[in-house]
Amino acid sequence: MNVFSGHISNIQVSKSLSMISVAIDNAHILKAILVETPETASYLKEGKQISVLFKETEVIITPEEEPLISVENKIRATIAIIEKGELLSKVTLASSIGDIVALVTSEILEGLSLKEGQNVVAMVKVNEIMLSK
Amino acid sequence: MIKAHIYKTLRSAAGKMELDIELNIQKGQFVTLYGPSGAGKTSTLRIIAGLLTPDKGQISVGDTTWFDKEQKINSPTQQRKIGYVFQDYALFPNMSVRKNLEYALEKKQDKNIIDELISIVELEELQNRKPETLSGGQQQRVALARALVRQPEVLLLDEPLSALDINMRSKLQDYILKVHKAYHLTTILVSHDIGEIIKMSDMIYDLKDGRIQKVGEPMSIFTNNQLSGKFQFVGDVIAISKQDVFYIVTVLIGQSVVKVVAQEKEIVNLKIGDKVIVASKAFNPVLQKIEK
Repeated sequence: MNVFSGHISNIQVSKSLSMISVAIDNAHILKAILVETPETASYLKEGKQISVLFKETEVIITPEEEPLISVENKIRATIAIIEKGELLSKVTLASSIGDIVALVTSEILEGLSLKEGQNVVAMVKVNEIMLSK
Repeated sequence: MIKAHIYKTLRSAAGKMELDIELNIQKGQFVTLYGPSGAGKTSTLRIIAGLLTPDKGQISVGDTTWFDKEQKINSPTQQRKIGYVFQDYALFPNMSVRKNLEYALEKKQDKNIIDELISIVELEELQNRKPETLSGGQQQRVALARALVRQPEVLLLDEPLSALDINMRSKLQDYILKVHKAYHLTTILVSHDIGEIIKMSDMIYDLKDGRIQKVGEPMSIFTNNQLSGKFQFVGDVIAISKQDVFYIVTVLIGQSVVKVVAQEKEIVNLKIGDKVIVASKAFNPVLQKIEK
């Protein structure tokens, strides 16, 4: 699991859903959508310290610098380590908020010729991010 | 609704223990006393039931005082509006199921309650059988119904399901929740089963050495951090298998086996038999209707 801590910088509520923005640092905001609102979950308060969690399998990697894609959360990173498996490979990405681990198919890793040292963008959809107190 | 401050020196094979417990339970709540053996859970239930007298303290339920050392009040068990179910069913072997229930009736009490209870815990087919011809789960259903004959306000359950297999447990849990709601009971359960506690309880008192360590909702007691994932289950790790660059952890949840992909750093502190929370977001699972 990838875990980063930050504080809640914005909350948008619509019926039972909330879009929570979590500022990891000044330059990085990660957004998560929850079936929860400040009324149902006491930890949803602006300024509250919170952890952001997402699974390695949900991290999308692209070598494009400004990808046009329907994924909200984008973090610039550099490929630090590639551990190749037969079907899946583990890619450790170094970013200014810390290491992000991605599990992607070994085939696409070759297809995109991703290599250690290369600059990429790591992406995670809002519905794949969980929050933890 | 139940306010209790009880203090008693208990002596057991393990030595002397000071039970010092304060409970504040709302009407209609389902509360679990959790903790290691010898923590004082059963003694607490027995004190509430009036089967054991505290050295000092007070117990009140609603506006009625059941015990007050200073005011010298100590209502006998029969006058306390409680139902008590133990692990051991303690049914009368020579009486039918129905007779076992009728025996619990108070003088002049309306007998309609017997039919109502037989119906709510679905004993219609079994009502004329003797307890020894019933399975453990069926006997415990009779014991549960019998505990409710006098229409108690408080239901005390001392590990009532621990002798039953997992299938039976799950069914009995549903019956207990059903009567808890139907009769607006305030229920205190003693249990070790975390899955059961999370399924049943609104609030947990975590006891150790006669003291309350923690009070809270089940999820906040059993997990260090509260996850936002809506799809959460508690299970037991039954296998951890290494793939090439990751691991697959197999978890038994109730009677279902699920598999979760995990990274090395997630499994370093995990071993077979550990309890885990399996969590995902409400957005990920898909539903498929089961055709009958």
